[in-house]
Amino acid sequence: MSQGAAIDHAPPARLGRRLSAMLWRRPRWAAAALLVPPMGWFVLIYLAALVTLFVAAFWQVDDFTGEIIHRWTLRNFETLATSPTYRTIALRTVGIAAAVTVTDIVLAFPCAYFMARIAGPKLRATLFTLMLLPIWLSYIARVYAWRLILAHDGVLNWALGEVGLPPANIGYTNIAMWLVFSYIWLPFMITPIYAAIERVPGSLFEASADLGARGLRTFTKVTLPLVVPGIIAGSIFTFSLTLGDYITPVLIGGTGSSFIGNVVYANVGIANDIPFAAAFATIPAVVMLIYLSIARRLGAFEML
Amino acid sequence: MNPAAAMRSDSAPATGEPIVSLRGVARRYGDTLAVDTLDLDIARGEFFTLLGPSGSGKTTTLRMIAGFERPSEGMVQIDGKDVTRVPPYERDLNTIFQDYALFPHMTVAENLAYGLEAKRVPRGEIPGRVSDALDMVQLTDFGHRNPAQLSGGQRQRVALARAIVNRPAVLLLDEPLGALDLKLRQEMQRELKRIQAEVNITFIYVTHDQEEALTMSDRIAVFNAGRVEQVGSAAALYDRPASEFVARFLGSSNFIERDGRRLMIRPEKIRLAAGECLDGPDWHGEPARLTDAEFVGMYTRYGLELRDGQRLIAHEQNLPGFGLGVDVRPGSQVALAWHKNSVCYFDKMDAV
Amino acid sequence: MNKRLGYWMSTAVAAAATTVALVALPAMAAPAKANYPAKIGPGEGQLNIVAWEGYAQDAWVKPFEQQTGCQVHRKYAGSSDEMVALMRQGGGSEYDLVSASGDASLRLIYGGDVQPVNMKLIPAWQDFLPQLKSPPNNTIKGVHYGVSYEWGPNVLLYNTDKVKPKPTSWAAIYSDQYKGQVTVPDNPIQIADAALYLKAHKPELGIKDPYELTQKQLAAAVQLLQAQRPLIKKYWAQASDEIGLFKNGDAVIGAAWPYQTNTLAKDGVPVADVIPSEGATGWSDTWMLSAKAKHPNCAYQWMKYVSTPKVQAQQAIYFGETPANKNACSAMNKIEPGACHKYHLDAPASYFDQIHFWQTPRIECSNGKRNCTSYRDWQRAWQRVKG
Repeated sequence: MSQGAAIDHAPPARLGRRLSAMLWRRPRWAAAALLVPPMGWFVLIYLAALVTLFVAAFWQVDDFTGEIIHRWTLRNFETLATSPTYRTIALRTVGIAAAVTVTDIVLAFPCAYFMARIAGPKLRATLFTLMLLPIWLSYIARVYAWRLILAHDGVLNWALGEVGLPPANIGYTNIAMWLVFSYIWLPFMITPIYAAIERVPGSLFEASADLGARGLRTFTKVTLPLVVPGIIAGSIFTFSLTLGDYITPVLIGGTGSSFIGNVVYANVGIANDIPFAAAFATIPAVVMLIYLSIARRLGAFEML
Repeated sequence: MNPAAAMRSDSAPATGEPIVSLRGVARRYGDTLAVDTLDLDIARGEFFTLLGPSGSGKTTTLRMIAGFERPSEGMVQIDGKDVTRVPPYERDLNTIFQDYALFPHMTVAENLAYGLEAKRVPRGEIPGRVSDALDMVQLTDFGHRNPAQLSGGQRQRVALARAIVNRPAVLLLDEPLGALDLKLRQEMQRELKRIQAEVNITFIYVTHDQEEALTMSDRIAVFNAGRVEQVGSAAALYDRPASEFVARFLGSSNFIERDGRRLMIRPEKIRLAAGECLDGPDWHGEPARLTDAEFVGMYTRYGLELRDGQRLIAHEQNLPGFGLGVDVRPGSQVALAWHKNSVCYFDKMDAV
Repeated sequence: MNKRLGYWMSTAVAAAATTVALVALPAMAAPAKANYPAKIGPGEGQLNIVAWEGYAQDAWVKPFEQQTGCQVHRKYAGSSDEMVALMRQGGGSEYDLVSASGDASLRLIYGGDVQPVNMKLIPAWQDFLPQLKSPPNNTIKGVHYGVSYEWGPNVLLYNTDKVKPKPTSWAAIYSDQYKGQVTVPDNPIQIADAALYLKAHKPELGIKDPYELTQKQLAAAVQLLQAQRPLIKKYWAQASDEIGLFKNGDAVIGAAWPYQTNTLAKDGVPVADVIPSEGATGWSDTWMLSAKAKHPNCAYQWMKYVSTPKVQAQQAIYFGETPANKNACSAMNKIEPGACHKYHLDAPASYFDQIHFWQTPRIECSNGKRNCTSYRDWQRAWQRVKG
């Protein structure tokens, strides 16, 4: 039998091999084959959802039956712009997200620095486990735990009483939310800062000392600038996670603790006013877009 | 080689007070002894090399001088002052790191200015000194570039400029040429020597490359397993190795048994002739059988077997009308000879 | 950059076109027409229900499944509004039944989400309290859009150690006597509680029905609630939240359901509840049948089953509320001696009448005028109160 005949009678099982050979010869097709499913998913599910959101923001709801009326209107945005309630909520959300981010930077930096530069491998592994352990616990469980800590008869006030201090009435306040958010998102700040510090060769710190710089100068001129991308990467996590949260405000917040997410949730799940929810939801989306574009300029995405 | 250095005695620094002194310095990591009790004096203006295989303690010694490591025992002196507990930023020396350690977020000029700013050199003086230093390393127009935009050799020069711009009393160099290819390395070797002569700074140089050490140094300390085997000029170390380790580490060497001792002779110090014996008052001669010959270009490498079966290697320069020539066949009888001053004897205990 | 923007724009436009097509469902805004079955046919084997937590316990669901062969799939909702949303999900055919309270039922009826129920197929309906046979929250012009289930008042709950003397008026949660220790539900319908208080204390506002408020009356209620806000420790979202607040000493007084009182008392917390002199709002729940129910026979089986005295009694005692079926009294006493009295099933009609049951606020007032405020107005107003 000649070779040519053998190929002609190739069983269909060879199809896969032929296909792979073809893709090997045309790497662009291979790349396309690889990218089409995730891209399709991305465009259909993710972009479509975003666009729906944006389009829906210009519709309105029938006052009585709660049905959506598909007529273009700016009424939702008018309400948002003119109502002091929603302005306060938007500012509160962004403000607490920013406060949480700053707090986490301040808390995370020394932790990350210690883990990356000072701790030995064993201690580092232990610290990492300790840091990541709470993430394995349910978010809700951790928030509830904080509620018990901060409650009037909770652990915090008990401890304060033991050392003879007056009780701190911070349960169900915005301060409590700030505390809990800072705690919950802290690992998301430590990890990228740790990665950034670890990426800096140790010789740079030695070189700085060698050139006559003391600790503070080394920190401000070498450590900090090189770690800024990591800080920004972390802040993207803490900021966006806080910005989008609506559970902690319900569980930990008191009066005057609503977040954008709560209003959105109330309008989707409760009032069934999806257009208004969509309009409000565009605010954090826009805030994040601005934040991300600034972060990209500062090179934060190299740290993700 | 620095003509002044050639006149120096073998192990003592030249003149005046040493710029760097180590007194009984030792460094332990847990149970591991990285550097055993060590005494060293390095003279002002000297090109001093710490040579040894990896893990021999040379880099640890350098880092103790720089202040990155604290000795477990002993004292480090710079310019007569005890600096054992002085942090790096208060020591009058600078280091060139193996990976150059240039600050990636600063331009070349900013890198150079960093040390001057840290030492509070008057603002107006800084740009001049930076451009002088760049001139010296022939990177005059590179001040505005980022380190990432430079080649390996250029980074090496920036690292050098960043150190010497501070005009330190001592410059420490930790295998600075290790990452460069051979040609660039040789070029930089010459460059370093030139600059050292120009700025008259004491260089303390760490390398594992014996050739580099031999060509550049005024004096060399050979490290082995945390201890200094020998300190001396290149010629002294080569011709009069204090131990079998030094003999083996620097250049090639033959070892044979003679009279219950070990005799070392360098291959190029063996003279060969066809047929009759070469003998004279200061010369030792004996017959041998040629086992093989390899033409290397500059010289020919001969394998020899002595009558008692011991083997030797001899290198003969390929000069016309000299030595065996290229036509001798393996198996033929030859006569070898060496000057009695060319051999060293070691105790058998010394074997490594 | 421009090129990339162009790419994004074109993608966005394409995506928009597809999603508009997906989202634009035909609007349907009228009550569903009756389509009564003559009798309950054979079960479909499945039943999907939306219920309050505690409304579909194994104690009475398991026997139902055994009797009818209808497998019950439960989805618990946390609020009336979530119930409405769930019943509209997926075009309205995902769930067969919902245990809707009065503040959701009219929305479901007028939204066309639920269909009329043939009461002839629910024999126990004859034994219901007269007020709950055709209540306005589920019966429109004589058409029944569901079967009444259980009811109860929103009571004033207080810590008997900390609150003395025993409160008799809702004023206790509007005056600053217990500042920082008050809790009320995080629910727009709470506006009705404020309206009820104003009805008694500010007659000049002319409030007749706390669920029918003009803009002016709503504004007054909001003003009262905003003045109350500094007194509030927390607006509670779930019954368990309020239980925690009382347990941990964060709150000593607040609006609650009897369920909280029972649970706290069982845990040894010194609490009691009272219906204050102004009366109280309350809930009256109705099992409603989806207009597009896939398993109507199983649904009818369920409505028939849960109306029987035994299930009504089990439900009442489990949740701390009162059955619609007055024959449930002996069954209640069998489970827990004295329960019939404890949960007011034997109470005179005046007890029932002092409860203003939750209704959906609508633009159209009961007098036909369209100057009332809608639920969405209330929802927005509540957001203003909470801040």
